[in-house]
Amino acid sequence: MSTKTLVYILKRLLLAVITVWLVITVTFFVMHAVPGGPFVGEKAVSESVRKAMEAKYGLDKPLFEQYVTYLSDIVTRFDFGPSLKQRGRQVMDIISDGLQTSAYIGVIAAFLALIIGVVLGAAAALNRNKFADRCIMVVTTAFVSMPSFIMGSLLLTIFAVKLEWFPANGDAENGLILPIITLSLYPMAYITRLTRSSMLDVLGQDYIRTAKAKGVSKWKIIFGHAMKNSLIPVITYFGPMLAYIVTGSLVVEQIFAVPGIGRAFVNSITGRDYTLLMGTTIILAVLIIVMNLLSDIMYKIVDPRITLE
Amino acid sequence: MKRKVFAAMLAGIMLAGTTGCGPASAKKKGGSASGDGQEISVCLASEPGTLDPALNSSVDGATLCAHMFAGLAKWEQSESGALEIVPDLATELPEGVENDDGTVTYTYTLRDGAKWSDGKDVTAKDFEFAWNRACSPELAADYGYMFEVVQGYNEMWAENAPSDAKLSVTAKDDKTLEVTLYNKVSYWNELLAFPSYFPVREDVVSNDSWATDPSTFICNGAYTMDSWEHNSVITLVKNDSYVDAENVTMDAINFYLSDDANNMLTNYKNGSWQLIDDVPTNEIASLKASYPDNFVVAGQLGTYYISWNNNYSLLPASSSLTGADKIKAENEIRNALALIIDRNYIVDNIAQGGQIPASSFVAMGLTDADGSQFYENAGDNSYPGYYDVSADSYQKNWNSAIETLKKYYTYDEASGKFTDAPSMTYLYNTSDAHKAIAENIQGVFASIGIDMSLENQEWATFLETRKSGDFTVARNGWLADYNDPISFLDMWTTSSGNNDVQFGKGANASVAAYSIDCTDCGIDLKVTDGTWAETYDALITQIKTCADNDTRYKLMHKAEDMLMETGCLTPLYYYTDLYMIDSNVKGFFSNPLGYKYFMYCTIE
Repeated sequence: MSTKTLVYILKRLLLAVITVWLVITVTFFVMHAVPGGPFVGEKAVSESVRKAMEAKYGLDKPLFEQYVTYLSDIVTRFDFGPSLKQRGRQVMDIISDGLQTSAYIGVIAAFLALIIGVVLGAAAALNRNKFADRCIMVVTTAFVSMPSFIMGSLLLTIFAVKLEWFPANGDAENGLILPIITLSLYPMAYITRLTRSSMLDVLGQDYIRTAKAKGVSKWKIIFGHAMKNSLIPVITYFGPMLAYIVTGSLVVEQIFAVPGIGRAFVNSITGRDYTLLMGTTIILAVLIIVMNLLSDIMYKIVDPRITLE
Repeated sequence: MKRKVFAAMLAGIMLAGTTGCGPASAKKKGGSASGDGQEISVCLASEPGTLDPALNSSVDGATLCAHMFAGLAKWEQSESGALEIVPDLATELPEGVENDDGTVTYTYTLRDGAKWSDGKDVTAKDFEFAWNRACSPELAADYGYMFEVVQGYNEMWAENAPSDAKLSVTAKDDKTLEVTLYNKVSYWNELLAFPSYFPVREDVVSNDSWATDPSTFICNGAYTMDSWEHNSVITLVKNDSYVDAENVTMDAINFYLSDDANNMLTNYKNGSWQLIDDVPTNEIASLKASYPDNFVVAGQLGTYYISWNNNYSLLPASSSLTGADKIKAENEIRNALALIIDRNYIVDNIAQGGQIPASSFVAMGLTDADGSQFYENAGDNSYPGYYDVSADSYQKNWNSAIETLKKYYTYDEASGKFTDAPSMTYLYNTSDAHKAIAENIQGVFASIGIDMSLENQEWATFLETRKSGDFTVARNGWLADYNDPISFLDMWTTSSGNNDVQFGKGANASVAAYSIDCTDCGIDLKVTDGTWAETYDALITQIKTCADNDTRYKLMHKAEDMLMETGCLTPLYYYTDLYMIDSNVKGFFSNPLGYKYFMYCTIE
């Protein structure tokens, strides 16, 4: 790895730290500005009980002091504190539980999107303007333009309620199949379209024509020369795709009742579970930043013409 | 080289996707009577906030606690099907002995052989510790106030209370527990079956996260916790060392954790779950028709009502009324508006869950001194409660309401509408069901010329807004924690955290518009034209210290009369608990608080 690349990565890491700090700060103050608190319910607790609870969790201190304490706990001890709603549980434990499930469906969805997307895209490009190409284009256009909450509800209605092929509960046996499909459809359709256009672009290049003129077989041209170069745009899409899957899971996990980090995040907002909300926000932010950085580095690896500065 | 790196990355992704970070569960399909014993799968709600019986404040959490802990008493269904409170770890539930100072002392003896799930004996000391812990300011539990009847509670919560302040609960020896109450409490045995009163052991709860992990969850009830996959399922297995284990018929219970009613219904329909505690509102009618034997509407101690902000003026701008006259006029207006709401329509066509139109604030199901229904004796009318809510009376109610409103608003005979009523906003928390009710009321009010706009807020924001009194009219609901009308009445004292309508607060604090006369009950409390604090708050204090049961209930009727006279609470319907249960499940029951009991179930 060249020094230039190293300097670049270091710069990006520094930027990432600043971004995370900004995310923490903004979320912290916005969260406390929203009306309602973790200890409100239909049955109000008495004033003395509320005060006792606030004192227990340090919520009685001035806001800025709470912020400084929170930040220093994270930096010095990597401690997100206890959950305010799920009493007795640490935010870190809740996140690690949720993250296991989320990572599981996210990684499979990404992989599925990548494989099927590239195959379909290549097939469409090789059958340009034929029936197969048209079909693929129509279907992918539909998938790209449909938001995941509609797609999720649609799949749930058809496959879980009407046909009863899969459970509606993400936690039951085979329950993760529908959420994975829901999550993967958008990036799959996007990758299909990306692969198709870049493949078409590559197939029209001079070096492909030269190869053809030299009598290289069709499949060797496709897999040996065209495929590799046409995948470069797909690699650049890798980062945004993982970001999409992370954020998309917020909706999808809610629809399918998947016990992942997305659902923990949404519940922490409605329940004003301040510490859990901060913890999940930080983890999701870090995840997205790291994914984007990895995608840039991968870009450099597959395309040596690119320099990272 | 580069190709290899790329391939390795892909392979890594594949591997992670197929093996490494998968959730480690192999899910069972529940509900079996075969092979290795009885097993049932149910879904009550999503992940409980806690399963520490002292900290729990949810109905589903209480159900779980009732399966895993044994207190002095428990709920049971008799042969005849009636629900009763019976001794659990106590050998019997004796009457209290009245002391000279009016306090009442109870002495309990623990049954032989009561064990914790780790084999240690359950002692009276465990109760003493658990009760003092449950109501301590250090624990700050939502339901700490359930101990307010026990002597010593007030001292524990007094300002500058000494750190060693304790309840009057003493373990005389390993088997004998003595407790003293401030005065006689008719629902004391019921409290003994409430989760806050379940024992926990000091060394167990010294670990803050003891109640989140099966390995540290030491309990003493009919079941022990076998596993808890967070946000997924909690599995309980029968505890053979429980004192009453021989009568427990269900060997294992899977409590699935979900709050999505559609998801629950799907799993009920495909046979995965045998009981679900919620159903989608828009499916209620069709489910009732297609599952007549499985769709259950059970009574519940609760009322769905509208709360009116007592400090929001309902008089037209031209009105010159002030002070007590103004308050009395507004009370009349609110009570008139309460009459024009068609409760039968709301129950039959909107809520659709077998709810009962309500004519009082204290819910149906709460009993009076003589064991009859409290609400039937309320209001001193020929019909139960404060309004005649039968469908036949609607037109009569309507006419009388219009006549009352004519006293304060200008009525346009041609259009049949009032022309100068102030406009108002109805606040509700975001939910289709609440919205549909709000729209119905909006339509009814609009038909007589009263302009009411609707505003919905997200749950936590809504609670804050309503509590702070920043609303005109708001949707509200209340479920009792025990069968005693005081649980509906003491929430309306000036300083109560649930006093959403702002009685005795703000401008209302100094208005002397309320009267109370308890001399006919032999109680020295008579105030004419006093403030809310001088009348209602004083009345509640009398009720809480009243030793005579009959008098106490009479005073509670008076308190409700006062509340209803203000018109600030407009009851719409009494809550019901809707659930669906598989026909194969026998021996199931639920109590009026909504706790569900599976230990005596069998699956046929």
